Amino acid sequence: MKSYKKFTIYTEPFNVEMVSSFLWDLDIDGITENDDNLSVFIVETKSIGTKEISEKLRQLMDMEVIENFTITEDVVEDQNWNEEWEKKINPIEVTDKIVIKPSFRDYDAKEGQVIIELDPKMSFGTGEHETTKLVLTLIDKHIKGNEKVLDVGCGTAVLAIAAVKLGAGKAIAFDNDDWCLLNGTENAKLNKIEDKVEVRLCEISGIEEKDFDLIVANINRHILLDIVEALKSKVAENGKLILSGLLDVDETDIRKVYESAGFKIIEKTQMNEWIALVMKVE
Amino acid sequence: MAKKISGYIKLQIPAGKANPSPPVGPALGQHGVNIMEFCKQFNAKTSEKAGLIIPVVITVYSDKSFTFITKTPPASVLLKKTAKLDKASSEPNKIKVAKVTREQLKEIAETKMPDLNANDIDHAINMIAGTARSMGITVEK
Repeated sequence: MKSYKKFTIYTEPFNVEMVSSFLWDLDIDGITENDDNLSVFIVETKSIGTKEISEKLRQLMDMEVIENFTITEDVVEDQNWNEEWEKKINPIEVTDKIVIKPSFRDYDAKEGQVIIELDPKMSFGTGEHETTKLVLTLIDKHIKGNEKVLDVGCGTAVLAIAAVKLGAGKAIAFDNDDWCLLNGTENAKLNKIEDKVEVRLCEISGIEEKDFDLIVANINRHILLDIVEALKSKVAENGKLILSGLLDVDETDIRKVYESAGFKIIEKTQMNEWIALVMKVE
Repeated sequence: MAKKISGYIKLQIPAGKANPSPPVGPALGQHGVNIMEFCKQFNAKTSEKAGLIIPVVITVYSDKSFTFITKTPPASVLLKKTAKLDKASSEPNKIKVAKVTREQLKEIAETKMPDLNANDIDHAINMIAGTARSMGITVEK
């Protein structure tokens, strides 16, 4: 897991707008605005340190925006920051048929229910979110048996796991986040289908396989617009693509780009402001 | 009955790129908020502003639920984007690194207006012009 350098910066006067905007000149990863200071986070592998930050703050002193400053440096080890929230999660009945439950909770399954065991830790896809519910419902509808499935930006790998438990023959799930490889692999083992769900740490360009019968991608508009051609190259003839992570306001742009690329939208579902689209190559 | 507020969290993160690592993870995690839920919503709502830094204020309630509002990017970030500039001048009084027009300043002022403590658009333009000068950006007449 990555470590982060954390710089706590006090300035007099405390001019959040100017100080933070000058710090964004550097390749920093984020800022927390506190009552009387800023915390600046930088991945430890980057070479930016107290020297570079001090140079920026001295510019602000020269410009008489601030009179003085102090900086302290700490190291923050990345960890499961979601632990506190995880303690309160309970089994979720996504549909009458599909239930997602944390491994540490009991659930009395009814006949015909598919139980997905999932410990989310630091990955996306807990079953609580509207988009996960939309896609799971669509997977249940479109899986007929023995399909080859690709889960793009898999997070917890919940979609790949669900697809296999609902009848798919095999699923490849990938994400570019370290946590997802660890967590997705753990979740596949929890469900005893690690022989059918393969989790990889890569971008879509790292997937060499093609002809997927079903591709699911619950990410966001920006990324989905970028990877349209890559998705088209991976979907089998007569295969289907399910997109989500989209707000209803994103539909026009997604339709335009995907229809131009040769996809036909055959189904749309919506929950609150979130939508999911099912497509086929025309 | 209104839910009880247990705290506010203020972050600055790149549009469309929130993830559970710092600063998001530790800031939300200590309040017991669902970090991934926040990231999903933030990324969906800011993905079309890719390349900009978005200040966000998250209100956390006693039941661990949350709401958030995004603010306009810092004026200097908008100025850098408009002037196609990577970095502000290291000596703004001596070294001028870019130019912006009054019309461009007005556009930035209009964007920033909801978050500026400005009386009117002219006041806002003057504030943005001050930031531009402090970055070594010349304002064309």
